[in-house]
Formats: sequence, C-alpha cells, structure tokens
Amino acid sequence: MTPDQFRELAETWGGDVERWPAATREAARRFAASAEGAAVLAKQGRLDRLLAVAPEIETARADRSSFLVLQRLAAVPPQHRPAWHQRLLRWPALVPAASLACSVMVGVWLAGAMPYVQAPSDAFSVMSGVFDVYAIGYGSVQ
Amino acid sequence: MSKVSAQRQHAFRILMRRHMPRALRVAERIVRDPAEADDIGQEAFMRVWTHAASFDPKVAKFTTWLYRIVLNLTFDRTRRRTFQPLEEAGEVPDTGPHAVERLIADEELSLLNRAMAGLSDRQRGAIALFHMEGLSGEEAAKAMNLSAKAFESLLGRARAALKANVQKIQDTGSYA
Repeated sequence: MTPDQFRELAETWGGDVERWPAATREAARRFAASAEGAAVLAKQGRLDRLLAVAPEIETARADRSSFLVLQRLAAVPPQHRPAWHQRLLRWPALVPAASLACSVMVGVWLAGAMPYVQAPSDAFSVMSGVFDVYAIGYGSVQ
Repeated sequence: MSKVSAQRQHAFRILMRRHMPRALRVAERIVRDPAEADDIGQEAFMRVWTHAASFDPKVAKFTTWLYRIVLNLTFDRTRRRTFQPLEEAGEVPDTGPHAVERLIADEELSLLNRAMAGLSDRQRGAIALFHMEGLSGEEAAKAMNLSAKAFESLLGRARAALKANVQKIQDTGSYA
C-alpha cells in the first residue's frame, strides 16, 4: 500500500484501521505502524471523534414520542366487522352447520332404508295392545 | 419482532423503548430540527407497526430495517424543503470535564454543525450511520440501500465536503 492510498483510505473511513474494508486492513496495519501512517490516522481520528458526537435524546422525549405513536394507533378505527352472512361462510361457523347437515342426511337415509311396518287396526289387535301396555306398566316385573 | 407482527402492543412498546432514541438521533442529525426529528421517529414506528409482517430477519437486522425507514422518511421530507438557514444548525452538547476544554470543544462542535449544514442529506446520513451510530461500512450501505462501493464514495465525499466547509467557515467567518 502506498502512502497516497493509505491517506485516501484514511480520509474516507477515518482514523481507525479496524473499521476500514476487510481487504485493506492487513496492509493498512503495516503502514499504520510507521510514523507517517500514525500521523495520518491521528489527524483523521480527531475528526472521527467530533463526528461521533450524537445529539442528546432525553428518555422523557423518546417516551413522549412512543406515547404519541400509541395514541395514533388507538385512534385508528378497529378493523371492519364482516356482515353476518359473511361470518357464516367462515370455517369455524361451518363446522356445526356441516354436523347438522350430516345428521339430517343420516336420518333421511335411515328412514328410507328401514322397513315400514303398519300395525293392524282390527279390534282384537287394539285390545291386545292396550292390555300389553297395562301388563308392562303394572303387572310386569319392570 | 414476531410478536409485533402479531400486533401485540406490549411487544411494540418494548421495541419502541429500545429503539426510539436511535430513530430520533439519526433523524435529528440529518434534519437538524428536534421537532421534525420527533415527527419522523413517530412516523417511522407507525410504519414498523403497519409493515411488521413484511420484516424478514433473514434479510436484515431490525436496526438496519429501522434505519432504512428513518432515512427514507427523512429524505422524503427534506426533499420537499427548499431553504434551510444555517442558523438552525443544532447545538451538540459536550461532556468534557473542564470548562476551557469544553469551551474549545463547544466551538469545534458549533463549527462542525455549521459545516454539516452544508452537506447533502445523504452525506449527513452516511456520517450519522458510520460515525455516530458506529455501523460498519457494509451495514450502513445496506441501511442506505447502496452498494458497498457507492457508500464508500458517499462517505468519502461527505468527509471531504465537511473539511472544505470547515475551511471555508474559518476563512470567511461564515459558510456561503
């Protein structure tokens, strides 16, 4: 690395060789060990220290800004609530609806599949049924 | 940050407590107006909240992302300005222990602030990120959405312009 290259890099990146691009550091360290190199770095280092001074931000000021952000967020209207028919189409609402539909379908299928037996309507059969009921209600072991 | 993406305000409050000073500091260094810096800091965090879902930690650190938002807002605002009097250059406090040294340092800082006022916003941004915030050249380039080479060029020009401005102020007593 030539003195001019070293000076140019110092003018760009400042007086701390460790903050220079990685590819230049090794050669720069060697040159920095010389009196000329050290003088260049010292000159740039003084400017670096001035440039590093930051505006003072008090905690109260930062907190006030944070509070104002939260206030602005609170002022934003809540998200639009969808209409009832739109809510019905969402999957959490579809689960009970699907269950009910399945139950109805099974019921209809059973009604169609099971044999229909019509009870006889003659007097003997009716009386027999009545006494059977009586026997179940009072005379049986149940 | 993932909790902020899930719109959890408690996590967002913690994030602001940690990073709001950083946002205000960078904005103030560039716009040189505390009130405007406050506006920029607030707007930056409004954007963090609304765009949290788009943040990808694999692509960049949160601070790099925040710097980029702050810089974009700052450059947008200053682009709209047409005139910025040098007298508005803010004073930077010094923490030197001795009065005489402090006086000298104050004078130097005053000179520096006046010289900084003559730089472009992007040049002030480069100095703020690299020297004030201590970012590496690579990180600062990423925050400014520049290539490493472009950032090097910008920083070099910023320091050269700053030195020229200082010289001009010292020679003439004011920067024209």
